[in-house]
Amino acid sequence: MMVKQMGFVFNVDLCFGCMACEIACRNENQTDSTVRWRKVSRLTDDSFLSVSCNHCNSPECFRVCPENAFTKRGDGIVQINSDLCIGCGLCIEACPYGAPQYDPLTQKASKCQMCYPRQDKGLPPACVESCSTEALTFVDLNIFCDKKMVGTIPGFPDTRLTNPSIAFYPAIERNRYFLKSSNK
Amino acid sequence: MEIYRHACPRNCFSTCGMLSYIEDGKLMKISGDAKHGYNQGRLCAKGYAYTQYVYNPYRLKHPIRQTPRGSGNWKRISWEEAYDTIADKILELNERYGSNLASGYNKFSGNIGLLHYAVEGMFNSIGPHTKPIGNPCLITGERAMRKSFGQMNSIMPEKMAEMNAVVIWGANPAVTNVHQMKFILQARQKGAKLIVIDPIFTRTAATADIYIQINPGTDGWLALGVAKLLIESESYNQEFVHNQTVNWEEFHQYVNEQVDLHEVCSKTGISFDVICELVSIYSIPKPCATWIGFGTQRNENGGQNISAINTLALLGCHSGKGNRSVYYSHNGIDDFPVNLLNHAGPEHPTVQYSREININNFAENASKLVDPPLKFLWIALRNPLSQDQDFQAWESLMKELELIVTVDLFMTKSAELSDIVLPAASHFEEMDLNVSYWHHWLSVNEKAIPPYYEAKSDLQIARELMKKLNDRSPGFSNFPSERKPIDWIREELTPSVKKLYSIESIDDLLECPRLRTEEVTKSSSSSFKFRLFSQGNKGTFTNSFNRGKSDVEESYPFQLLTPQSLLKIHSQYEALPWLNQGAEQDVVELSEYAAEKNGILEGDKVELFNQYGKIAAIARISRFLPQKVVLVNQAGKNPINRLIVQKPQKNKGKSSMNFYDSSVNIRKWCENDG
Repeated sequence: MMVKQMGFVFNVDLCFGCMACEIACRNENQTDSTVRWRKVSRLTDDSFLSVSCNHCNSPECFRVCPENAFTKRGDGIVQINSDLCIGCGLCIEACPYGAPQYDPLTQKASKCQMCYPRQDKGLPPACVESCSTEALTFVDLNIFCDKKMVGTIPGFPDTRLTNPSIAFYPAIERNRYFLKSSNK
Repeated sequence: MEIYRHACPRNCFSTCGMLSYIEDGKLMKISGDAKHGYNQGRLCAKGYAYTQYVYNPYRLKHPIRQTPRGSGNWKRISWEEAYDTIADKILELNERYGSNLASGYNKFSGNIGLLHYAVEGMFNSIGPHTKPIGNPCLITGERAMRKSFGQMNSIMPEKMAEMNAVVIWGANPAVTNVHQMKFILQARQKGAKLIVIDPIFTRTAATADIYIQINPGTDGWLALGVAKLLIESESYNQEFVHNQTVNWEEFHQYVNEQVDLHEVCSKTGISFDVICELVSIYSIPKPCATWIGFGTQRNENGGQNISAINTLALLGCHSGKGNRSVYYSHNGIDDFPVNLLNHAGPEHPTVQYSREININNFAENASKLVDPPLKFLWIALRNPLSQDQDFQAWESLMKELELIVTVDLFMTKSAELSDIVLPAASHFEEMDLNVSYWHHWLSVNEKAIPPYYEAKSDLQIARELMKKLNDRSPGFSNFPSERKPIDWIREELTPSVKKLYSIESIDDLLECPRLRTEEVTKSSSSSFKFRLFSQGNKGTFTNSFNRGKSDVEESYPFQLLTPQSLLKIHSQYEALPWLNQGAEQDVVELSEYAAEKNGILEGDKVELFNQYGKIAAIARISRFLPQKVVLVNQAGKNPINRLIVQKPQKNKGKSSMNFYDSSVNIRKWCENDG
């Protein structure tokens, strides 16, 4: 077991899909326009999901990489060493969460590294910093525990294969009154 | 790495404090300014994309000129040549007509920094000219607020976090004011209820505890219905009503006799039970925030809607007593002299005043001008061929103009139809002073990087062009060209401004943005008098959309709503790849009813049309739209505003544009007629 396992916590109830996290990631890492280390998508008609690399406990990228370019740090962050990457794309196919991205400029795979240079300086990852409602936070999942927190939510890929370091707070139910003439 | 302090100058509620990180004169990244108490170190997606805005391959680098106009045959010219051409035209028109009335401008909100009033200052400095007046966006509501409260009602938006309930009427902060959402959700986490009333099931509506869908433009009916029930059940703030309102008897009688709950239900489309739920929210004797969005006033009933909602908010929640928690907008700029806007120009021997044209019918009215006609138009901080109404009027006005100059960062729809386009600086390339029309913070914006190629700020252009005019014709302009940006900023920081923001000089603002001292509002004193809703001269609400069954309305049965999209502000940010994934096509959202009626399937290419034109779009069928509403986001390659034509407004400069009183029809696209 890692000393630490840093992981993202995503609160569906507090996210309204503003995409600040996704663009804050691009701003911090100045990634190419086609490279999306973090992605905000619609989970349902009225809820959103923000996902990047989940720094899994059993990372598939790590397992399939022919060059052993992936390592897992003591804090649980999964890193890719771009010097070793040959751009074969196996990790991109293997990851259930679409985390590794092919960068057409470098012709290699790249992915979220949980802003470890920022974390090493005591700063939160750029995406977490940008979230105005704190829908996206990060904790050491080895010690953090909350009864309301769940391991997965409907619409999130099967977690059994890789044991991702992410946890969720689900949405709370709401009252909605649509016009009768609407299609509801 | 050097760090500079900025304020985002977009036409947005948030006016965020931001920091730029500069290496070798290059903008490397952006962050929110943690010392700014409103955005608190965060930005929105657009804010985080500024590196792509500044170093965008589509950004204009040099002054350019096309001949003939509209041909796309652009040639790079020098600033000297541009200034010479413009100065020649202004001087020649002055000679031809004996004044500068043939010269005019159209400017609005592309950058709301105070120094961008340089455009007005520049034109003022040549004496009487032709200028737009009014405000297409929010003035109907502002006037309604002043009528209700006797002044603008402006509470710190941060205080929404302390409310027992937040009721949002026709605003969508999840898209247009992201940073407000944290205060709302903070209140919610402390147990407050969030209620959203909107015809559109917006992202904000999706976060609400209670979402109430309403027929567009009928908010006033709902507010009066709820008010009637509050009064009948005596759960309104009686002490307030008796001491601090001016027309209680009249209002009481009106509500008793004229407001019929069956009619309220049928007009708004909301069931009686749901109205009662809103009554229960407004009758809890605890602070409740009522936020009236600009959307409620983009129709003919706008002022009446807001007056009715104000009345409900003050009757309920016992909010009247020293706590008028009705949010609309904040007139931060009113504290400042705004010297550029108010710059006094030289007097003309015979022409006393500038010619004022209602900005909402600018093109139509400008075309009608005679003695002299308008011949030279300066377009800055605006893209009327995307954002204004009545493009045909613009196209015919442009035919009459001898010179059109547009100042912008990008080749907009309006720039495409200009003779000369001048490259504008981004806010990282100029100094400015910024206040918000929502929160109460004051920020200085530093210059962090050299201008992109030959870009210049509006103020720099004014300084240089006016100097050029004076070189050619001494004394033509009285613009103080020697005055630098920092001098203009210092002049804005008057003793009263310094006191209000607890600063001694501009240096304090360079340290951190400052919060305006809260005034003791008149409402807490007994002298404050609130004006309850009154029927006014117009009679009761006109239901503008379903007014009658004229031929036009039969032919165009759908109401067109055109709200802001998440990753743009009007047509700004369109060229940023981070914000525009893939080949974005114009999309129209329509109800299942509209789709079925017209045989349209998801993803079909459709045509949206009315008597003014048509646009093509891809259909997206929504389960949540009211049957007779179609929704299209603004801007894009074929701006939807082509289908928006408003009748002339009589009250010059006193109403917002009624964008949402527009009707269209929809059908499958047919290549033959395309």
